[in-house]
Amino acid sequence: MTDAIEADDIDELIPASHISLSEPPAEKEACIEYLLDLLVEADRVDDREAALDALLERESETTTGVGMGIGIPHAKTDAVSRPSLAFARSEDGVDFGSMDGEPATLIFMILVPASGSEDHLKILSSLSRGLMHEEVRDDLHAAEDEAAVQDALREAIA
Amino acid sequence: MSHERVVTIVPEAGLHARPASAFVQAVNDHDADVSAGPPDGDLVQAASMIAVTSLGAGQGDDLKLVAEGPDAEAVLDELERILTTPEEELDA
Repeated sequence: MTDAIEADDIDELIPASHISLSEPPAEKEACIEYLLDLLVEADRVDDREAALDALLERESETTTGVGMGIGIPHAKTDAVSRPSLAFARSEDGVDFGSMDGEPATLIFMILVPASGSEDHLKILSSLSRGLMHEEVRDDLHAAEDEAAVQDALREAIA
Repeated sequence: MSHERVVTIVPEAGLHARPASAFVQAVNDHDADVSAGPPDGDLVQAASMIAVTSLGAGQGDDLKLVAEGPDAEAVLDELERILTTPEEELDA
């Protein structure tokens, strides 16, 4: 099994510019583009189209809606040169087609370079482990600014 | 009585993406409580996608499966099949 990511990694993985506290588009594919654009605008993505193709290809394999109101679209792609995480939350929920039927209200995007296969599972598993705790989900819903989201994530993976 | 086995993960993607979704679906399709995790660590509810994702189980890792209920043996057989089938041959 993989090692966990550490609290110190949060600033590098997900600076404030990767976090949106506004309502994302209600439709899944548009929501994925919305999260991708946070990373594009933060200069983390060299090739937006390649990144989007990789994300949608992964999504077509099986949904990244993991239940409990959480969606984690992710991809390994050389469109990024370092692991990057983005976050948006939805009041209304976005239908990710998850097995438990819950619309996603906490949505994360993970992009890692194609060569970083271990990073990929490491970030995905650390994040999932944290998000299984109700208080972490509550903190993310209640966060009033980007720093509070980062704090909740540091707690989540501690 | 619970049934238990340890399976080495074959798919290149690990217990992730299609294999993970087939795994969780199989648990939900059987009348059994199943938990999964590292042989020497904490087990999680195998019926939950987020719990299964939290394991970060990669190709070549050993996964311990514990099942209880009328379908315990049947679900372990199916989970073992999923975990030992290369991703491109998996039809679920």
